[in-house]
Amino acid sequence: MKPGYKFLRNILFGLLVTGTVVFISLFAAGYVKLSAQNTEACFACHEDPDLTADRNGKKVSMYVNPAAYKKSVHSMAECVDCHTGYNPDELPHSKTPVKVDCKSCHQESLKGIEAGVHKQVNCYDCHTKHDVAPGKEIRVNQTQNCQKCHNTKGIQQYKTSIHAKKNVGCEGCHLGGHSSKKISKNEVAATCGKCHGSHEKNFNNSVHQTVLQSGNQNAPTCTDCHGSHQILTSKMTIESQSCLKCHLDEKLFPGEGRGSAKFVADYKTSVHASIEKGGKEAAGCSDCHGDHMIQDPNNPQASTIRAKMLETCGKCHQQEVEHFKKSQHGTELMKGNFKAPTCASCHGEHNIKSVVSSKEFTKLNQVELCLSCHVDQKLPHKNYKGEEVLISNYKDSYHYRALQEGKLNAATCSDCHGAHEMKKFDDPEAQIYKKNIAKTCGQSDCHTKQLGDYNGSIHEQSLLDKNNPDAPTCNTCHGNHQILKKDESESRIASSKGLVQLCSDCHNSVEMTEKYDLPTGRTESYLESFHGLAVRGGSKVAANCESCHGNHNIRPSTDSLSTISKKNLPETCGKCHPGAVTAFFNTPIHIVKPEEENPWMYWVTNFYIFMIIAVIGGMVLHNVVDFSKKFKKKK
Amino acid sequence: MSSKKQQEKYLRMTLNERIQHFFLLTSFITLVITGFALKFPEALWVRGLFNLFGENAFELRGDVHRIAAVIMVAVSFYHIFYVILSQRGRKFIIDMWFRKQDLTDLNNAFRYYIGKTKVRPKFGRFSYIEKAEYWAVAWGTIVMGATGGVLWFENTFLPVISNSGMDIATAIHYYEAILASLAIFVWHFYFVIYNPDVYPMNKAWFKGYLTREEMEHEHPLELEEIEKEQAKETKKENIRKEDTGKKDIKKKDIKKEEKKPAPEEIKIEKDKKEDKGNNNIPAEEINPKKDAGK
Repeated sequence: MKPGYKFLRNILFGLLVTGTVVFISLFAAGYVKLSAQNTEACFACHEDPDLTADRNGKKVSMYVNPAAYKKSVHSMAECVDCHTGYNPDELPHSKTPVKVDCKSCHQESLKGIEAGVHKQVNCYDCHTKHDVAPGKEIRVNQTQNCQKCHNTKGIQQYKTSIHAKKNVGCEGCHLGGHSSKKISKNEVAATCGKCHGSHEKNFNNSVHQTVLQSGNQNAPTCTDCHGSHQILTSKMTIESQSCLKCHLDEKLFPGEGRGSAKFVADYKTSVHASIEKGGKEAAGCSDCHGDHMIQDPNNPQASTIRAKMLETCGKCHQQEVEHFKKSQHGTELMKGNFKAPTCASCHGEHNIKSVVSSKEFTKLNQVELCLSCHVDQKLPHKNYKGEEVLISNYKDSYHYRALQEGKLNAATCSDCHGAHEMKKFDDPEAQIYKKNIAKTCGQSDCHTKQLGDYNGSIHEQSLLDKNNPDAPTCNTCHGNHQILKKDESESRIASSKGLVQLCSDCHNSVEMTEKYDLPTGRTESYLESFHGLAVRGGSKVAANCESCHGNHNIRPSTDSLSTISKKNLPETCGKCHPGAVTAFFNTPIHIVKPEEENPWMYWVTNFYIFMIIAVIGGMVLHNVVDFSKKFKKKK
Repeated sequence: MSSKKQQEKYLRMTLNERIQHFFLLTSFITLVITGFALKFPEALWVRGLFNLFGENAFELRGDVHRIAAVIMVAVSFYHIFYVILSQRGRKFIIDMWFRKQDLTDLNNAFRYYIGKTKVRPKFGRFSYIEKAEYWAVAWGTIVMGATGGVLWFENTFLPVISNSGMDIATAIHYYEAILASLAIFVWHFYFVIYNPDVYPMNKAWFKGYLTREEMEHEHPLELEEIEKEQAKETKKENIRKEDTGKKDIKKKDIKKEEKKPAPEEIKIEKDKKEDKGNNNIPAEEINPKKDAGK
């Protein structure tokens, strides 16, 4: 110690003694007798910050900040109210210091704490010793107080949690104050529910809660997914850390069936997991299964049950679902037809793959998918005539074989029927509604040229403009599923004979010709013409219907664009008969009433018939009598 | 009549004529078959035929039809030249021309058939039956050749006669075909095949001759004429050589008649010997006399 300091201390000590003497002499006379247990008196010594005492060999500060004390709720109390059993005249005041017993005053409020988790905690650990703040103030800062002790890493994560940001303190969950408590697993939901009531309600209806209540402690409650103090809110984090943590665990979910860990594992390679949308997976567990009210997949209320799947998938795939609902599949599904497919029937469940890039949805695999239901016998389809249509015939079609050869623009089921839009042929919005078929076949990348030819043809006009339901469109001639190339021998239109028969189905039908006032005698007159005779005889080059009338672009002869208009006829005939280019055509090609259409031919024919009857008849008569005469004579 | 005499041979068709006939008949039958095969493609016989010739039978049919047509037309032209340029041809066409007698014969024939008379009309070298046949063929060949040519070269004719003309040509070609075929089958085949007098067949079309018996029955007037000529010849010779008393050679049933080839313009010959047909041929080639109706 420096000599200056000693000197200063001596001076101060002198002043203190002098002051004390003056102070005592001033008040001793007629004021209050100075009590030995007066707080003032205590502070006389204890306001010295340097005041220390030995406590079990340790030097302990005996300093009490008078200002803080005066502000505290205990400013009304005397020191001795708490510190009992001290003799101020002795130093130390007590040989066996007595612990402050708060209960002596705070009997009521301490009852709670004795039953709680903080039973062993000293009051002053929270309330401090002399500057005891009012309860209100403590409550405000309670969280910091708690963290003084509860400073493990897990609990410290609270500081960055949403609860911290939103000023939800420890007491929000743990009650705080004297009734602070631990929260058991079974109480978690109720605790969170104080604020998150609707979620609690949902959770209470969930399969997780049901399992939990059945006693399986593996079942999750709020904190198992969200964490207890850090409180996860990110969907992606929750799913990867929480849902999958359990549901990929083969011990918890053994086997290979639905619900097994393996079943769920497919999700990881699905398009939902692999495509990122705004930094998140396209769809996570909760997007389909729901979050708090997650249900057993067999529960009728489950978001993944057949009936609700449209709603669930439709949250993201709105347009597709809207189309699907109007489709035949969708209508049947909503009617409750248990055979009708829903989203998962085609797309799968966890293993949902991109339609564009996955193997599962290549055009070829799609065929198998559709045929898995639409096979003959199992799900027979009837056409508009009520005849059963063999859908598996598609596999004989050129469309299918082209796909197999790697020509990927060939049509598969959905190209004609639509995928989600699939409707029955009798629905006017169906792609395969008779009036829409040409558009469907002629869609871009497909048969656009043929569509162009067909548009404006008499067949197209009767169908669309005159609403003639029997007028042919693409499939009338080409067939439905088993569409073949024209030059394939099994095709109906491969041979001239087949083609003539095809056209004759309508143009030689009494019913059709009468109903629609079609010109009659086309087939007969053709079949008796040289062209027809040659075709009947097997000629491969003789003209058939198509050679003159065209195919997709068939128009009536009165149409100047028609191949058989008077103007174009020389050119049309000239394809085979170069001499015809300069010829003129003064009688119809199909002679039905020769007496009007070609009277010369008519009279020549009749002349010959007469001649044949007369001449040959005469010869027969002559020979018969000759024979009988000679025969008799011979005998 | 001795059977020997009855077997004496009389030239009916020279080899040249038989060859003409052969080409005509083969081309005709071919045309009938290949033609009706077009018109009745579903007929069983057509189907069978087409199956026989495989995939391109229809095209083959057309080619064969045209080849046969060319042959027939060629034979026809040859025949025209033959008829104009050769002596026998000119005689042939004169004999073939219609006469009033033909109508009388036809009338008498019917009278005979219905029993009004017991006498069968006697025919010369060509009866009305053969004349009808021949001219029918001539007519038919012209008509079929013309219409067939139009149909064959449709590119040439279409601009000329238009499609209505083509249709008429087609109709004529078809009905004429029926008429011609029936004429052959009903008329010609009856008289040369089914006719009880010649059944099973009149073999003149390949042997070239008729027997005396056949001549007596079918062409008695011609026989008379031939024998008249022969008699004349014989008489001349006899006068010249022997100056003997006259012999009457009028009757045809004269027994030992020498049929000396005494061709006026034609040299016929066939000794009465019963030589085989072989002998005929060289003689005929030089100057055939008889002709089978066609």
